[in-house]
Amino acid sequence: MPTTCVLGIGNVLMSDDGWGPRVANTFDTEYVVGSDVEVFDLGTPGLDLTPWLLDTAHVILVDTVHADAPPGTIRVYDKRDLLRHRPRPRVGPHDPGLKEALLGLEFAGRGPRVLTLIGVVPERLTQGLGLTPAVAQAIEPAVELIAAQLRRWGLPVQRRITQPAFRKTGTIRQNPQVFG
Amino acid sequence: MRITVDPITRIEGHLRIDVEVDGGVVKKAWSSGQMFRGIERILVGRDPRDAWLFTQRFCGVCTTVHAIASVRAVENALKLEIPPNAQYIRNLIVAAHAMHDHIVHFYQLSALDWVDVVSALKADVPKTAALASSLSEWPGNSTQQFQAVKDRLAGFVAKGQLGIFANGYWGHPAMKLSPEVNLLAVSHYLQALDYQRKVNQVVAILGGKTPNIQNLAVGGVANAINLDSDAALNMAKLYQVKELLESAKQFIEQVYFVDVCAIGAMYAEWLKYGSGVTNYLAVPDLPNNATGTAFDLPGGTIFNGDLKSVKAITGFEDPYFQKNVSECIAHAWYDGDWTRHPYEEDTVPAYTPFDADKKYSWIKAPRFDGKPMQVGPLAQVLIGVAQGHEPTTRWATKALTTAGKIAGTTLTPAVLHSTIGRHAARMIRTAIICETASKHWNLLAENIGKGDTRIFNPPSFPKGEQQGFGFHEAPRGTLSHWIVIENGVIKNYQAVVPSTWNAGPRDAKEQAGPYEASLVGNPVANAELPLEVLRTVHSFDPCIACAIHTLDIEGNEVASVRAL
Repeated sequence: MPTTCVLGIGNVLMSDDGWGPRVANTFDTEYVVGSDVEVFDLGTPGLDLTPWLLDTAHVILVDTVHADAPPGTIRVYDKRDLLRHRPRPRVGPHDPGLKEALLGLEFAGRGPRVLTLIGVVPERLTQGLGLTPAVAQAIEPAVELIAAQLRRWGLPVQRRITQPAFRKTGTIRQNPQVFG
Repeated sequence: MRITVDPITRIEGHLRIDVEVDGGVVKKAWSSGQMFRGIERILVGRDPRDAWLFTQRFCGVCTTVHAIASVRAVENALKLEIPPNAQYIRNLIVAAHAMHDHIVHFYQLSALDWVDVVSALKADVPKTAALASSLSEWPGNSTQQFQAVKDRLAGFVAKGQLGIFANGYWGHPAMKLSPEVNLLAVSHYLQALDYQRKVNQVVAILGGKTPNIQNLAVGGVANAINLDSDAALNMAKLYQVKELLESAKQFIEQVYFVDVCAIGAMYAEWLKYGSGVTNYLAVPDLPNNATGTAFDLPGGTIFNGDLKSVKAITGFEDPYFQKNVSECIAHAWYDGDWTRHPYEEDTVPAYTPFDADKKYSWIKAPRFDGKPMQVGPLAQVLIGVAQGHEPTTRWATKALTTAGKIAGTTLTPAVLHSTIGRHAARMIRTAIICETASKHWNLLAENIGKGDTRIFNPPSFPKGEQQGFGFHEAPRGTLSHWIVIENGVIKNYQAVVPSTWNAGPRDAKEQAGPYEASLVGNPVANAELPLEVLRTVHSFDPCIACAIHTLDIEGNEVASVRAL
């Protein structure tokens, strides 16, 4: 298993909620990383996030966040920010999300040592494909933030192509190699 | 008194349960899906070959199951067979996904309903190890292991860092396990993390990626088979899958099986609660031939809890399934008041405030021959036992004997119609699926050994209209996708999902759905902490998702339990 993961979280069928997977896929398309770094589009795994975090050293999560700021605003958080509030009672498997996965791994002594969450404030979270313009504009800055963070951790990161291969909204890309 | 359990912040929560309690017992219950799910509408006008790529995004937890049901629906509409290798590869993915899901459900999603974590601090470690070795040969049950977990737990409690268990109802009067059993369960919860990942790796190896697999195609799979190529499904990858399955088998049989038997036996009074709807529906799955007419998991129906009433569903073409499914929107927030076959349905939202007598849920009410049906592992296990299916009968008998011995009583399959019975059935199903996965690995290896490397039959779309349905016995029960294709393009698409069968509201005849019926008669000791309600609802493994997921880091994340 890789020791560093970049994980895009969100539902690509729910408009701006698809930002996390889009950022992860765009990063994967535009950058080459070492074999100890892996990039995943995880969708909305809920507590199934746990196996992806098990025994990792560094994790970058990319997701939408609720924050009092205009749509498209990027906010960066660390592990402590994520664990500050108590988790809520569980009802369905989606309820225990990131926070419970992290707390569970803390207890197991096996979670990532360092975690960065790159979040964007969404505008529209209703069913539909594609991002709103404000949120789509936040893709490229987030991709650069990922590259910068990996470099800070001393990991080799190299831009794959100079010209962005794909910047249109509205398509699910299952197979990033097509564009790489 | 009316209690509402509602994850009101709605960040990820989609299920609201209302119960009317009188004298400490639930008299009436309502299950409400709190989020519009009409994702199928995205599919209209698209290429049927692409549908599975979209449907596997319906739900972040049940990804592969929607992909499988979708390709089966299109293949059914086109009368397209798939090569045996494709069938086996799909089955291995289905099996690995199911094992993962069931292990996660027991240890991560429902154990805290029964296990009092803090009580484990009082456990006597040698006694725990002695108890564990009397139940199982599992090598992870050593005194050192239990001591390490207990020390770890003590450290967390001392520092006030019990965050993960902050929602646990420890000290609740309904918690009954001894400190030793609680310590055993906490230890196994930690060990389960590794097995969760191992079975996940099977999906990743065969599916290209996980959770969103990439290897499916209408007509087969996209796994090139070449035993000598690094880029294809080769000998090394096949043996990696085999090793992972064998390792999972040991955990399932020596840990999961034993834990459910032991905890179930110690909560024997819960064998009385939670039956509800005793009409059961399961579809056959893990086909072992190309045409989808022979299966390793049995399917059929049972009515009124009578195992003798069992009627088999025989294959992907069976009209008994196709003709009898309908959905009713009498109490659901959609425009109209109809009961229709999935091919004829529409999905036009029409929200009105929650009204238990009128409309109160976004979930439609599926019916089979007009009757509410319970779906899920329990349905499949009872149908298997009723049909004399060998692995089901063997594992069910073993579970009932083991639990009966611990409880000091004799248990019959009748006790499975219950809250605990659903956990037991899920574990029985996991054991069956695990051994069946090995069988399908062998079928795949033998077939490739014969020189057959075919993986795909190309689909062709005739002019005019075709209808098709694809079913899959998913971890939470019967899933079916229904497609209408016109001139090669999707005209209508409906997914009737397992949690719709179980969590759906009343229908036009006021027949309650399985969640609603199962809560009636449940005790509620403390209205502020309705642990008993959660126990029964969780036993179904609810997944109402199809799902939005937005983190709320700065905001208020307190969900509510309101007692009025």
